[in-house]
Amino acid sequence: MWQVAAAGDRALLVTVGTVIDPSLLNEVLALDRALQDRRPSGLLGTVPAYASLLCHFDPAITGPDRLEETIRQLEGTLEAAIPTGAVVDVATRYDGPDLPQVALKTNLTPAGVVERHAGREYLVYCVGFAPGFTYCGALPEEIAVPRLASPRLRVPAGSVAIAGRQTGVYGVESPGGWNLIGRTALRLFDPAADPPARFKPGDRVRFVPIP
Amino acid sequence: MIDVIDAGRWTTIQDRGRPGLERFGIPPGGAADWFAARVANELVGNAPDAALLECTATGPTLRSDVDVLAAVTGGHVAVADWQAVQVVHGSSLAIGTIAPGLRTYVAIRGGIDVPVVLGSRSFCQLGSFGGGFGRPLAAGDRLRLGKNVGHEPLIDPWPPSHRLPVQGPWEVHVIAGPQSDAFAGDALERLAATASRVTPAIDRMGLRLETPALRLQAQEILTVPVTAGAIQVTPSGGLIVLLVDHQTSGGYPVIATVISADLPLLAQARPGDTVRFRVVDSTEAARAWRRVSGWLELDR
Repeated sequence: MWQVAAAGDRALLVTVGTVIDPSLLNEVLALDRALQDRRPSGLLGTVPAYASLLCHFDPAITGPDRLEETIRQLEGTLEAAIPTGAVVDVATRYDGPDLPQVALKTNLTPAGVVERHAGREYLVYCVGFAPGFTYCGALPEEIAVPRLASPRLRVPAGSVAIAGRQTGVYGVESPGGWNLIGRTALRLFDPAADPPARFKPGDRVRFVPIP
Repeated sequence: MIDVIDAGRWTTIQDRGRPGLERFGIPPGGAADWFAARVANELVGNAPDAALLECTATGPTLRSDVDVLAAVTGGHVAVADWQAVQVVHGSSLAIGTIAPGLRTYVAIRGGIDVPVVLGSRSFCQLGSFGGGFGRPLAAGDRLRLGKNVGHEPLIDPWPPSHRLPVQGPWEVHVIAGPQSDAFAGDALERLAATASRVTPAIDRMGLRLETPALRLQAQEILTVPVTAGAIQVTPSGGLIVLLVDHQTSGGYPVIATVISADLPLLAQARPGDTVRFRVVDSTEAARAWRRVSGWLELDR
């Protein structure tokens, strides 16, 4: 059962689950597409993430109850929405400052961490936090480590990082609390591009080690 | 042209922001105190989307090589109080110290003409783009004026009865959730019964508050999209209230969300100020919005 809750006076948050699961992302993207097709009056825009969809509305045109009713009507009627596009290679130099610590915490060698991180396919679950930041999953349990105790004030754009069962790439220089294990030259955010972010939820990526 | 003689503490070019791009990780941005910014544009007769200056704590000193009409609203400064002032060519406009309040808006008739990036002229701190320079203003910057006018300027000062307060203590109205489930049943009641204090950690992304008399318990959650006004509870029990340049998603549960009409209050809050949250429903939020936006419908 979807949970629909007010996110202030001009948005609703639809939550379809609480775990990282491709089928939940699928449901979120299917709902997102269905709303974009139907354009309920007063719906201004949507923001997808992992297992939830934020729906911004204009309270002068619609209300939370009416929008919730429209959303509820879609529950159980949606079909798969993740496109089966090509896997994008993210060339990564695994020289991140936290790689030795991650290896220690996981009882692996740094090369062992890299081996487990690279060479497998990840699903993009969300672009958010900061411009172009790309959340991917799920990371193998063997290399899942918690966030840093205190976040860094500056993480360079292109940093490849891990936290819990997630891996991500920083799109711009920003503060950040994830463990930095590598860096890519791929540009994930460009305000002059359309769309400005390189990835979107549902895309597939693979990290390819480069020397 | 307007010459920036002194940039002040943190002066950025803002307009109504770029809502709708959150799915790319781009915050909505725009003036933190949307109400004061809108009034500044009204006073000089600009269109509502004209770009203006958002000044923080200490404002800039500007000099114009032509006669311009400027309006100053928001946090209090000595030079003008919610009114339009003529700045004769060659003379300077010194905004100076802002108090009470934190953010002062300076609109100039015609608006500031900088390139539109992703639908807005606003500076986006998280992405270091927009606002003409991709950074806050610096001494030596030159600002070109646009032609983004909507009507004749207003001669009288903006009536005090139609302004929002710029000084605490603050009473801020919130709607419960969206992650009410992540907290004990009475957590929001306890929060509403407790005074929160603004810490020095404040910027356009958000304000950190502390609640010395209350310890909220919260676990991190699966990353969800977030909105301006969201009150996140960190694992240590601290509060982060998100403002206009907020991160677009987060993993801290949101206990309640500040209503749109009250967001300008938090844009004016200063470290040490007391904040009290009062829980309302969407009907009351709509009433508050109509009240504040109604103030903008003055007869001209």
